[in-house]
Parts: sequence; C-alpha cells; structure tokens
Amino acid sequence: MIRCIFLVLDRTYVLQNSMLPSLWDLGLDLFRENVLSREHVRERCFFGLLNLIKRERSGDTIDRCLLRNLLSMLNDLHIYHTMFEKRFLHETEESYSIEGSAKRSSMEVHEYLIHTERRISEERDLCLACMDHSTLKPLTLCVEEQLISKHTEALLSKGLSHLIVENRIDDLMRLYKLFSAVKDGIQSLCTHFNKHVKNVASLIVLDVSNDHTMVQDLLDLKEKLSNIVTKCFSKDLKFVEALREAFESSINKRQNKPAELIAKYVDQRMKSGNKEATEVELDRTLDQIMMLFRFIHGKDVFEAFYKKDLAKRLLVGKSASVDAEKSMLSKLKQECGGMFTGKLEGMFNDISHSKELMAQYRQHVTTKKEGKVPNIDMSVNILTMGYWPTYPPMEVQLPSYLVKLQDSFKDFYLSKHSGRKLSFRASLGHCVLKSKFKNGNKELQVSQFQALVLLLYNEATCFSFLQIKSDTQIEDSELRRTLQSLACGKARILTKSPKGKDVNDGDNFNLNTEFKHKLIRIKINQIQLKESVEENTDTTERVFQDRQYQIDAAIVRTMKTRKTLSHQLLLTELYDQLKFPLKATDIKKRIESLIERDYMERDKDNTTQYHYMA
Amino acid sequence: MADDASDNAHEKPTQLFTLKKWNAVAVWNWDVECDTCAICRVQVMDACLRCQADNKQDECVVVWGECNHSFHNCCMALWVEQNNRCPLCQKAWVIQGTGK
Ligand SMILES: [Zn+2]
Ligand SMILES: [Zn+2]
Ligand SMILES: [Zn+2]
Repeated sequence: MIRCIFLVLDRTYVLQNSMLPSLWDLGLDLFRENVLSREHVRERCFFGLLNLIKRERSGDTIDRCLLRNLLSMLNDLHIYHTMFEKRFLHETEESYSIEGSAKRSSMEVHEYLIHTERRISEERDLCLACMDHSTLKPLTLCVEEQLISKHTEALLSKGLSHLIVENRIDDLMRLYKLFSAVKDGIQSLCTHFNKHVKNVASLIVLDVSNDHTMVQDLLDLKEKLSNIVTKCFSKDLKFVEALREAFESSINKRQNKPAELIAKYVDQRMKSGNKEATEVELDRTLDQIMMLFRFIHGKDVFEAFYKKDLAKRLLVGKSASVDAEKSMLSKLKQECGGMFTGKLEGMFNDISHSKELMAQYRQHVTTKKEGKVPNIDMSVNILTMGYWPTYPPMEVQLPSYLVKLQDSFKDFYLSKHSGRKLSFRASLGHCVLKSKFKNGNKELQVSQFQALVLLLYNEATCFSFLQIKSDTQIEDSELRRTLQSLACGKARILTKSPKGKDVNDGDNFNLNTEFKHKLIRIKINQIQLKESVEENTDTTERVFQDRQYQIDAAIVRTMKTRKTLSHQLLLTELYDQLKFPLKATDIKKRIESLIERDYMERDKDNTTQYHYMA
Repeated sequence: MADDASDNAHEKPTQLFTLKKWNAVAVWNWDVECDTCAICRVQVMDACLRCQADNKQDECVVVWGECNHSFHNCCMALWVEQNNRCPLCQKAWVIQGTGK
C-alpha cells in the first residue's frame, strides 16, 4: 500500500536520480535491517518454512501459496540465495541421507527405485511450484546424491541379478534412467551387468551334466540379454560390449567342448526330418549360431566337428536343404575367410564332380557294350583325401559281380585321372535291396555292410556269426553292430539264437522267412555308435596338429603379399588371420622353419625384419 | 560266394535279395610313396604353401620323376632352376609324369 501511494513519486523522481534507491527497495532494505537481521526472528522464520516443507515431504497437504509467498519475500529481501537456500539444501541432504539408508534396507530394490523416482519428481514439483527455479538443479543433485549415488554399489549387488533373471523390463528401465543421472552410475551398472552375465553364462558352459542343452541355453540367454540391452539400456554401446565380452570370456572357459556342441547343434538343424523350421527360420537360427561361433577362440575345433557332420549329411543325402548348407558355408566364409572354408567347399565340389563323373561313366558303359556289367544302378561319391574327415579303409569281401562293377568304375576313373589311387570305403556305402518275402515284396534301404550280410542269405537260411564273418570279412565290431541292426532292431529280417542284444561268437542267425512289415520301403536303421570320448579327442588332437600347418600357410600368404615385414607387424597380421589361440613362441618356431625352407629370410642388417623369397 | 561264376548271379528270379541300387564311396589320393613333399614339407594331398597363398589349390598337382620320387609340381619347378637333380636321391631329374 505504501508502495502504491509513493508509486508516482517513485516513477517520476527517483528514476531520474539513479543515486537514490527506489522507495520500494528502500522499504525492503529497512525491513531486512530491522526485522530479519535479528537472528531469532530470522531463525523462527526459517524454522517455520523448513517445517512446512518437512510436512509436505511427509505427505501432509500444506498451504503451498503461503510457502511460495514467503519464499518470494525472502527472494525480494535478497536473503533467499544468501541464507535460506543453503539451509534448505542442508536440511534436504540430511533428511534424505537418513531416508536413503533406512529405505534401502527395508525395501526391495525395485520398490526402492520406484520410491526414489517418486521423490525426485515430488521435489521437482515442489520446487517449481514454490521456489526460485534456480534451486531445482542443486536440489535434484542433492536428492540424487543421497538416494542413488551413495547406494549404487549396494543396490546393484543386492538387486541387479534378480531383476535380470526375472526379466523385469520396467524396473531395469527405471534403474538405467536413475543411474544415468548420477556420476559413474552407468559405469557401475555396466560393470555389474558384465559380472552377472559372466556368472550365469559360465554356469551354463561349465555344467558338464547339461551339455545337451548348453547351446540352446546360451542362445536363449543371449536373446534375453540383448533384449534387455535394447529395451532397458537404450542400446548403449558400453552394454553391448559388456555383453559380448562376458559371453566371449565365459564360452572360452571350457576348451573345445562348446565349439563341438555348437557344431552338433547346427547338424541337428540341418538334418532332414527337422521339419519344424521353415527356410527363413532356419536361416535365423544359423545367424544366431554364428553369433555364438564368433565368441569361440578355437574356431578350427568347430570346423573339425562341423566337417564330420557335414560329411555324413552329404554322403547319406540327409541334408534338409542345400540352400541352407550353402548359406551356412558362406556365413562361415564371411566370418573367417576362404582359407577357413576351403576344405568344406572342397567337399561340396567333390559331390558335384562325382555327379558329373557318374553321368560320363554311364555314357561310357552304354557305348562300351561289354554286356557283362551287372544291371545295378551304381553311383560313386569320390572324395578328395584331406578335404574329408579320415575314414580308415576296411577291406571286405564283395560278391564277384560287385567287384567287377567296382573295378570297371575304377578303370574308368583312372583313365580320366592319372597319378591317382582310388580306394573304396565300404563302411560309407549304402544300398537298396529288392526282396521277395512270403508276405510280400519289400524294398530295403540298408548300409553296404547290411547288404553284404543279407546277400549271403540267397545261398542258405542259416549262418553262424563266424561264418558270416569269414564270408564278408567285415571288421569284428562293425559286423556285430550290423547283425544287431538286422536281428534286434525294429524290423527284424534275421532272427538270432540264442536271443539277446549282444552278439557272441557262437550265435546263429536265421532268415526270418515270416518277415512282415506294413510298408513297402523299409529303412533298416544302423545302430548308431555313440561318438566315443576317444573319437572326439582324436578329432581335437588332429585339429591341434593341423594348427602348425595353418600357421605356416598364413605366414607364407602374408609375406607373399607384403614382401617385407617386421616381426611385430607379421605377428599382428597372423593374430588377425588365424582363428585359434596363438602363442608367440610357436609362431617363432614356424618362422624359423620357413626360413630354413627358403620361403623367407632375415634382413641382413635388421634381424627383426623378414623378406619373402620367391 | 566269392567264386560264383555268373555275372548275373544277382538276378536269379527266385532269389530272395537282389541288389538294386548301390551308392558307393571312394577316396582318391596321389599315388605316391611318401605323403609329404620333401621340398616344402607339406602333404602332397594339400596344395603347396605358395599355391595356397594364391588360392590355386586345384592347380597344384604332383610330379613323379623316373626315380619314382614325387613332389609338388610347382615346388619341383623352382627346385630344378637351381639344381637339376632329385632332392631325395640326387639322380638327374627326369619327369615320369604329372598328376591330373
Ligand atoms: Zn611341395
Ligand atoms: Zn603348388
Ligand atoms: Zn629321386
């Protein structure tokens, strides 16, 4: 009111005399000096204000209008910033320090996060409604400091794993948002995330009793975690890398086995009969597999096991889809280079060359008109030794007409290719037998061993084990398995006496003349030899032997393109090219060996420099 | 049964089993005495290191001398530029044949 009366004076006179304070300011000055300078008055005023705020914080409804007016008065009196704000922030800090500790121990982590989020928004709300807006920033900082920063470690170790395991997307989003507001919050979150993934993934990898589900478990885990990184951690690159690193270190905690199991997993997807997947789904699965494959340090171990299964699929014609096979091959090539897939590609080439050659051979047979070649539809897959897994040769006794057939093809082949040796692998062959049983004609799909045994029964209806063995010359354990499949399986063409699963030397095998089956075409399953531990160690052993040779090839390839290279740069290139763990001492040995063989030489003046020798 | 005389023994109309289709598998390798090329010490079934570097695996064939020793053809070609003798037996190098 006083201001109104003097307003005119204020406007007209005082404004022209800048030396004089405005009457408004004069009044305020007087008020400040006479009333609020008195400490007890000021204290009571501050106490009242802070009390009001405390009540608001504890949930009471207060007169916000009163609060706002009083605070704005303090502002006008120039003691809001100099005196009140400091007191207010101090008070806030104390109250949230107590609250933070109390709530952290009494609440579940996700409740605590909700609480914190609410507190921050309440404080913001109050500040914007009643206080000078410049207070918002220090206020928020203060609350975040007390409720989050001081508890990051405790919150993360208490609650992060649980939230991830339970896939609490909303809570994790909140966590990320709150933590990103405080200094180093994201870094701690990321570190804990990485630790959690390592724990969970290592458990999967190291649990020997769960090997049969390891790959699927890892794929599921990866998918779930990638989803969390995308949805909750805003695809933050730090988290993407933390996830990758955690998987890589976990999967390599166990040597060889994960690589082997990944290869097996691919085989199961690739085999025909796996009709659950469409081409698109299959391709997606393969992409996921490649993601795991990328983590594996011993990629050549994978290649060895993959090759074993691929060989089976190609030779038995069991592959679900040629497109999928080719697509997998090109994924591997893209990931590891042509060096890595060279032999696998060679296998595919062998199969297609064999097809072409068979067409030529049939042409050759019809024009040759030797006449006496038996009327059997023969096809031969010719494998290049070295591309394929090693199959030990097993000599068997074939019926003479098959020997003739085999020799006829061999002559043809060697006339096309000089300097080669060709040897048949009876253990890999398979046949179709027409058969005339009393109860109907059947077409039997059998292995070559099974066929050789059954063909004996054209001569008699009963053979002893030892007779069969000497007539076919099939290796002992192979023969026992073959007889089991014919006499103890689902479709029993032979009957064994005495009965029983195990084949003993004294057993007799009779033709089951009463053989019956609802189908015309019957596949007699072979008894699958469980891949023995020995066989698998064999495969890995061969991989390790092969590594030396891989190193040699990579060194020569690199030196050939670079001509001159320092030792260090050569190492860098090799680490980049080779897809298995490398020791510098091993590489040194290989370099020495190559120098000795005149592929390269040391620089005469600088011994750490090499030159390629053409 | 090995001495069954008739070629068409498998087609007697009365017999129980007749082979209709045979998918055989055979493996080929070079007809060599020693699996490893003595010049580059790589298996002869694999391409020599230089051919691998050039991605010419398919062209890397084997050569036999009249002494019956064998090497990668490309390894031997480089060798004879220096020394026209077989690295293994020191006899004068005369090519008996190359693989294909
Ligand atoms: Zn060589
Ligand atoms: Zn070569
Ligand atoms: Zn010689």
